[in-house]
Amino acid sequence: MSDLVRRNPFALRSASLLPERLAQHVRRTATGVAADGTMHVRRIAIGIALGGAMLVGAACAPAPAPVSGNVTVDDFGDTLRLAAPALRVVSLNPVTTELLFALGAGERLVGRTSWDLYPEAAKAVTDVGNGMGPNVEAVLGQRPDLVLLYASESNRLAVQQLRAAGVMTLTHRTDKIADLQRVIPIIAAALGTDAIGRVIADTVAASLAAVRALPRPADSLTAYWHIWDAPLLTIGGGSYLSELLDVAGAHNVFEDAALASPQVSMEEIARRDPDVVLAGPNGAERIRTSPNWQTVRAVREGRVLVIDTAIVGRPGIRMGEAARFLRRVLVDSLKR
Amino acid sequence: MTSKHWLLLVGTVVVAVLAGVAGGAVPMPLGEVWAALFGQGDATQVAIVRNLRLPRIALGLAVGAGLAVSGTALQATLRNPLAEPYLLGVSGGAAAGAVLAVTLGFASPLLLPIAAFVGAALAVLVVLLVARAVSGHADPRVLLMAGVVVGAFCTAAIMVGLATAPENSVRGALWWMMGSLGDAQWRSVRWVAAYVAFGIALLVLWARDVDVLALGEDAAASLGLPVERVTRRIYLAASLLAAATVAGAGLIGFVGLIVPAIARALGARNTREAIVASALAGAALVVFADLAARTVLRPAELPLGAVTALIGVPFFLWRLRGLK
Amino acid sequence: MIRFTEVRLRYPAAAALAVDGVSLDAMAGRITAVVGPNGSGKSTLVRALLGRMPIEAGTLTLDGAPLAAMDRRLVARRMAVVPQREEPVFPISVRDYIALGRHPHGGPFAGRSAEDRAAIANAIARADVGMFVDRTTEALSGGEWQRVRIARALAQGGAAIVLDEPTTFLDVAHEMAVFELLDALAREGQAILLVSHQLNLVARFADHIVLLHRGRVAADGPPGDVMRGEILERVYEWPLVVSRDPAVGAPVLVPLRGRGSR
Repeated sequence: MSDLVRRNPFALRSASLLPERLAQHVRRTATGVAADGTMHVRRIAIGIALGGAMLVGAACAPAPAPVSGNVTVDDFGDTLRLAAPALRVVSLNPVTTELLFALGAGERLVGRTSWDLYPEAAKAVTDVGNGMGPNVEAVLGQRPDLVLLYASESNRLAVQQLRAAGVMTLTHRTDKIADLQRVIPIIAAALGTDAIGRVIADTVAASLAAVRALPRPADSLTAYWHIWDAPLLTIGGGSYLSELLDVAGAHNVFEDAALASPQVSMEEIARRDPDVVLAGPNGAERIRTSPNWQTVRAVREGRVLVIDTAIVGRPGIRMGEAARFLRRVLVDSLKR
Repeated sequence: MTSKHWLLLVGTVVVAVLAGVAGGAVPMPLGEVWAALFGQGDATQVAIVRNLRLPRIALGLAVGAGLAVSGTALQATLRNPLAEPYLLGVSGGAAAGAVLAVTLGFASPLLLPIAAFVGAALAVLVVLLVARAVSGHADPRVLLMAGVVVGAFCTAAIMVGLATAPENSVRGALWWMMGSLGDAQWRSVRWVAAYVAFGIALLVLWARDVDVLALGEDAAASLGLPVERVTRRIYLAASLLAAATVAGAGLIGFVGLIVPAIARALGARNTREAIVASALAGAALVVFADLAARTVLRPAELPLGAVTALIGVPFFLWRLRGLK
Repeated sequence: MIRFTEVRLRYPAAAALAVDGVSLDAMAGRITAVVGPNGSGKSTLVRALLGRMPIEAGTLTLDGAPLAAMDRRLVARRMAVVPQREEPVFPISVRDYIALGRHPHGGPFAGRSAEDRAAIANAIARADVGMFVDRTTEALSGGEWQRVRIARALAQGGAAIVLDEPTTFLDVAHEMAVFELLDALAREGQAILLVSHQLNLVARFADHIVLLHRGRVAADGPPGDVMRGEILERVYEWPLVVSRDPAVGAPVLVPLRGRGSR
């Protein structure tokens, strides 16, 4: 194995040129594959891809989305104008915080929300409060030149106020898989790290495709994902988790609901008769002990699966990992 | 009240129960519903009918009867046709108790109703103490004003709680406050039903005293009634009865306000008749409202408090027209 | 029957006494009237009888027994009070309303005993309200409502009836009807204690008048003794004369124009 790498100097060099975080990620993704000999090929393939990307990136400037004079329009319809790559960034969205570190721009992050605790290094960054309806004063206090926000209506006012204060903003939806694919290059461009951005985007896409390519856990596996019990909330077809289930090889029983978090009734769940019920640790406990939930066949037959929401919570660069984890849980449940 | 009216009331309750069992988010042919009642048929359908619908209906009957009787007793005792249990601190206290529990992290299905009940009971006692401190005795007008003041204070406490509570639990607290029979389970419905039955029995026992109180304080004193003591005990009994319903099903407004008016419109001649008639009418109303709440926008469920308000407000306006 | 002996009454947290050493005796078979200007303490006496005022000094007795020590239900069986204001908040039939007068007699589930029914029928007859027993109280005129309230008081079965301003808002016909009823009841042996500002009718019907002035008794005795110009002018602080009405032979108060006016 090591002689293969040695024979490819580009792989080694480019591997050491990569920010440590991304290399780690790549390694983990790579080793996630079953140890059946495809490891070497995969490592080399990634190494070549990365090396090639660096060369191409270095050789072909300007990058496809140049920072100076770009006319990116974000999901709020605002135009991004940056004279130079952003140097002080406040990220008001856990997804973009994680992305920033992956892009190697972690040291440019000067503010994060209270919920952004991944990666570990993010904890050292100043907490500026809520990501939805943020404290604009606290954000401005960090003197950012770019603020990344989540496209929720509760952030409209903050965007106006930040722009009025002369600070650039990028506001995006980060609800679904496709959203992330769209956002990565835009943010990478704003930071001047286009090449790494492309690599990350490709890696994420590849990791998802890899999980999709695996054999389905069962011919037709239906699942109910329990989000909340007062009121009863689940994931609809318009949500990331529903997509994730699809990638992992199962079908969301409430996929026909257009909302991201539709409210449902116990009777309806029982009628749709999912094969498994997924829930976080607290929710699973409540489901198992509640007489009302016994109405659902999957609960009666003991097929309530615990999902650690920290891993699968939202779209991010670790989506592939999340999908893989989910699939493993589903597969394991079928073995019982 | 004529026997025809009694028959109408009882019949309405029976129809409500039948409709409640047969109707729901999942359409079921009547034959299957009947079979499911006896445990036959598809296991899921049996579970739906027996574990979901029947406890809900039982809870609805108890809550409706409790709120209506509480309203009847309070309106007569406070000599105000617009009085209802929620005006006297019950709803504010219960909601404040629930939100406090949620903020502190005790939001389990067991602890939340207890926190709500304790909150309501405390608010009721505070109202009584405030009224006594202000006027030296349980003067009905002062009770009502103290109730409004305590309610306002509770609202402020709720807002503080909601602003500082973790985001997910806020949604749960708000949902609970909008009222729902969705958590009905036999083991908890039993308690609520027993409590409500006891409360109603107590008020039936004291119904004659309420008749006398309704004449006015001086006339009641002339008839030998210990006005202060009787006002206090009826106020407490009626309020705690309402508090139990709130603990069981969240805030369901207007029932305590409009059902007593319905009972009187049907011809209830004295408090005893009004209590029994209110219990029947209130039980039927809540069961029907719950049926609407869970079928109109299926599979989503409307908050029960919203449905009773939608029924109650037009009825209330209609009654206001008839008042001189 | 009802006797006040040097009674002093003070409203909670008030600086001055509302009633300062009043003594009066309302005996059976006569009408005793308490009169006086506004604020002289008349209604306060009734509150004391209802048990709603603390008695600061003096004694208040019913048939010789101190009222403060008696069970209120027992008091209600012996003495009925018709207060100044009484408005049932929900409609109630006249018959049921009169029947409530039996409340001091029964327990919570006591049905109507024969004694109750007899007392109710008796009350209806004596107050002459038989023709509207099936109406609701809201459908009565002022005068009819007053008679019904007296019927309720009679149904309580006691020998004493206390009335606080029973003829306010009544026209002359109804006023006379009420006073005639009270007169008839007194002839039958009831002790009637009446608070009123209607001096002229009181002068005609009362056997004994107690005139209050700022919480104290300014005069008491038969109408002839109390209805005197000097006393009344001093108490009511208004120029007036008292003459004798030839038609009925009773003293009549005639207020004059105020000083400073033509």
